[in-house]
Amino acid sequence: MATEVYAPMQGKVVELLVAAGDAVEEDEPIMSIEALKMKITVVAPQDGTLSEFCVKVGQEVEGDTVLALIED
Amino acid sequence: MKQYFQQMPQIGRPLKDREIARSEQSVGAIREVEARVAAHVERVKHSGLSTEQINERGQMTGWQRIDYLVDEGTWCPLHTLYDPGQNEEGTTGVIDGIGKVGGRWAVVIASDNKVLAGAWIKGQAENILRVTDLAKRLHVPLIWILNCSGVKLTEQHEVYPNRRGHGTPFFRHAELNQLGVPILVGIYGTNPAGGGYHGISPTVLFAHKDCNIAVGGAGIVGGMSPKGGFDVEGAKQIIEAQQELRAKPPGTVEVHHGSTGFFKHVYETEEGVLDGIREYMRHMPAFDPGFFRVAEPKEPLYPVAEIARIVPADQGKDYSVEQVIARLVDGSEHMEFRPGYGPDMYTGLVKVDGFLLGCIANRQGFLGAGYPEYADYPGIGGKLYRQGLIKMSEFVTLCARDRIPLLWLQDTSGIDVGDDAERAELLGLGQALIYSIQQTALPMMLVVLRKGTAAAHYVLGGPTANDNNAFSLGVPTTEIQVMHGETAAVAAFARRLAKEHKAGHDLGPVVDKMNELVEQYRAHSTPDYSALRGFVDEVVRFDDLRRYAVAFAGAVHQNPTSICPHHQMLTPRVIRG
Repeated sequence: MATEVYAPMQGKVVELLVAAGDAVEEDEPIMSIEALKMKITVVAPQDGTLSEFCVKVGQEVEGDTVLALIED
Repeated sequence: MKQYFQQMPQIGRPLKDREIARSEQSVGAIREVEARVAAHVERVKHSGLSTEQINERGQMTGWQRIDYLVDEGTWCPLHTLYDPGQNEEGTTGVIDGIGKVGGRWAVVIASDNKVLAGAWIKGQAENILRVTDLAKRLHVPLIWILNCSGVKLTEQHEVYPNRRGHGTPFFRHAELNQLGVPILVGIYGTNPAGGGYHGISPTVLFAHKDCNIAVGGAGIVGGMSPKGGFDVEGAKQIIEAQQELRAKPPGTVEVHHGSTGFFKHVYETEEGVLDGIREYMRHMPAFDPGFFRVAEPKEPLYPVAEIARIVPADQGKDYSVEQVIARLVDGSEHMEFRPGYGPDMYTGLVKVDGFLLGCIANRQGFLGAGYPEYADYPGIGGKLYRQGLIKMSEFVTLCARDRIPLLWLQDTSGIDVGDDAERAELLGLGQALIYSIQQTALPMMLVVLRKGTAAAHYVLGGPTANDNNAFSLGVPTTEIQVMHGETAAVAAFARRLAKEHKAGHDLGPVVDKMNELVEQYRAHSTPDYSALRGFVDEVVRFDDLRRYAVAFAGAVHQNPTSICPHHQMLTPRVIRG
């Protein structure tokens, strides 16, 4: 089952820190979003495989945008 | 209380390979700053005469004396780059720090006898006052290694007078004695006038056989000629008097050991003086560490050097401060205070070398939906909000009650601003935290991990907490300034820009001034500048942070002025609920 990773706030995706298909652990940084002049790290909410990024670098996102999917 | 402290919950996790790989660029920037700071330190160590020149005179340098005196591996230097007067000598002329001597912690200060024979120079009094205040905060002995030729006469107006001038340390010595903080002084060479008072004001005087201390030295005694001017005959008399006084200056061992008895001990060799002090230190008041330890000391689970891979050199990037704490504290264990409240701040109990400390740190990054609760904008770590300020005041007050010293890890962009923040009482809550800190009478250690900005730099255990902050450390990522340079440039020139624009003038000159201000802010907020001006007491490598924390924890528990029995502590019970 896939868990959706949401954007914490409005901003711009500036960096992907892992690749699709990578195994990730809970609290591991997976991407950076630039907001309020800061680069905010988005972390994996659980252990699993990051199966897909749903956004691209440079894309503007809203606070509830799905950023990635993590499979158990 | 072993159920609380022996095995506390763990914090942090190992770094992933890809995190290590991603940190390489940041680590490179950090190493560049480290190299720059190290070059400054070398320059200070080479100020004045060479070590060889001093050794050829049969003397040791101040640096060599400290090296001989202090127990191996325990020296934590402070104020190495401190030079607020930006002297031509490149130093304040004293060397100081914390270290163990004879197995016990002490604050140690030595005259740098390579520089003008240890003369009083600009900024030295302020350096000494930081040192006497440090001994007071830690309540451990102060050791002086004195070799001071007195005022640099061509700069007397910079060093002799004033409220915090060179006479002030003598009053601080009196204060320390009255507080039960012993001052041991090893005396070398010629110490006239001010040097003489540095010699006489401590508790116990250890003299080298060739030293002297006096109200006035040979120069003054030989120069007392109230004619109102000089002529050749007078000059010859001065030469004659000088030759006589140089051969036998006032205040030698013969007088101050044989007659006055001021010198309690006299030694034939330079090393003998230091051996004598070390032997005395073994008898200074000190609890066995086991008296205050809450658990056996443990190393952190993860290497302290990894902090350089966690705290980014890029001031705009966030990181996990829990990962930093995990690399500083025993066993990477902690007990977090109110984890669900005030997410902008970490507050919790940790152990360092088996001693209990309170730890307060800024969190970074997004703080979660709905926080701060009083506004419709998102909270970003580094900023202080209402709940975080309340939580810190509660934690500080509990630690004061339980006599738990504090370790602050600061990385703050300031207290939240705007009318929402004003209505949420942040101005009052910031000052309330200052009030809470001031009433603790606790010693505190601060690390400015990255940004020290605006009033938040003060309220987060900053060096401005004069009665509490024992010392503040900078690291290669430290940046201390009232606000960011660009913000300051806008604040300073926005009206001028509008005025020039309205008048139809070229905006270029104003823009140039704005960029100059930005550059000035950048240059005046670096780690090395912060050390030079005393914004921090030393800039250290991340690798050394735990050593300093161990020194702090050990020193403050060596002979504290008050005790809370472990089984009567409230903080761990409040945390557990």
